[in-house]
Amino acid sequence: MTQDNVPGAAPSLSRLVQELNRLPGIGPKSAQRLAYYIIRLPDEEATALADAVTAAKQNIIFCEHCQNLTDASPCSICSDPRRDQTIVCVVEEPLDILALERTRSYRGLYHVLHGVISPINGIGPDQIKLKELFSRLAQPDLVELVVATNPTLEGEATAMYIRRHQGREDLRVTHLARGLPVGGSLEYSDETTLSRAFQGRQEL
Amino acid sequence: MAPPRTYRCEAITLSHTPLGEADLLVTMYTRDQGKVRAVGKGARRSTSKLMGHLEPLTIVKLSLAHGRNMDVISQAEVVDGFATLKGDLTAIAKGQYLAELVGGFGAEESANPGLFQLMIDTLRAVAANPQSDTPLRFFELHLLQVSGLSPELYQCVECRVELEPGAHRFSPNVGGTLCLECSPDDAHLRPLSLRALKILRHFDRSNIYEACNIAIDDELAEELKSLLLTTVSYWLGKEIRSNSFLERLHNESLSEV
Repeated sequence: MTQDNVPGAAPSLSRLVQELNRLPGIGPKSAQRLAYYIIRLPDEEATALADAVTAAKQNIIFCEHCQNLTDASPCSICSDPRRDQTIVCVVEEPLDILALERTRSYRGLYHVLHGVISPINGIGPDQIKLKELFSRLAQPDLVELVVATNPTLEGEATAMYIRRHQGREDLRVTHLARGLPVGGSLEYSDETTLSRAFQGRQEL
Repeated sequence: MAPPRTYRCEAITLSHTPLGEADLLVTMYTRDQGKVRAVGKGARRSTSKLMGHLEPLTIVKLSLAHGRNMDVISQAEVVDGFATLKGDLTAIAKGQYLAELVGGFGAEESANPGLFQLMIDTLRAVAANPQSDTPLRFFELHLLQVSGLSPELYQCVECRVELEPGAHRFSPNVGGTLCLECSPDDAHLRPLSLRALKILRHFDRSNIYEACNIAIDDELAEELKSLLLTTVSYWLGKEIRSNSFLERLHNESLSEV
């Protein structure tokens, strides 16, 4: 919010509105609704919310291996001996790990980039966790790198940059299949998706 | 009579950012309305009918509805997705550079069909030869022209005397080329070689396909890049962010040789 104070609101309430308004996807009206909701909460619930924010901010660190957000480094996935240590899946954001873990079909390790190369937004290779990825790839027991960046222009550019700079000829570099989503429709699919779906067709 | 609530247009998408839970805020350059920012409702969901149609650097036909704050995209159909360009990292970086400049120079609610066509022609030239920088140099000069900022290449901007063959000077601040006799107090003044002036004049009179057929050595390419980048940045009034990644790829390709 650009104004210093919300007209008609107490200064401390106005400050809460402004802080909430800084969150992604929260506009001025949503910020006001959330602020008034928090004020009406019982004291213990409001304190629990404030404590959770403080604790998360103080305790959450980057895992030294995969760069995921964790309470302890290495994180629970990197320190799990049952996971396949020879394969690393590269994702853009920590939330992508949650989505892939829900599938229960991947048992290897991860690497979180915390963004993608986006020159138009001033984000280059040095602004995301690529240096950490490339130093991790020096481990000789690693045999496959799955690049699971989003199939967007910037996600593809990041995948191409990784492939070009990964520096190991013996490393298998793959990316997730491209094609039609479950519940999707041929009629509304774009030409790139359809042509990739054809390229990746499989035996029935 | 109230204006119609919906309209159709042909656009080239420049960039998009996530908005809310599953929406996309798309910035595009249209042939008839200039720069438009519109919302693709639910476009980030994998089953959205808009998904894939709104990726940056795509020519699309759109149906839009006027919204209270921003227009809403109701239908989108890809005309050209530039699949070849999107299969090459350097070409993508160049495409984003073009998108940043069109987004910077293009104005909202102000049609500039020349700029729209220039963007498409340049993307095609980049896709045809991703390693050549000539399409970018042609684009920069013609971007200034279609924006009404065409630099003077034939007469001295101070004394209006026709330029003789030889070395000259150039400044975006005074509007183009200066003869050696005129020396205004200008911090942006820089030397301009005869070879660079000839190439600029060739670009001025040619279409992009003719311009891309000319051989330009590395030294001349660097002079043209420096001059045109400085001029475009001067008029844009800020740094061109996507250029640093382009420079990085350029330097990496030089070190590999």
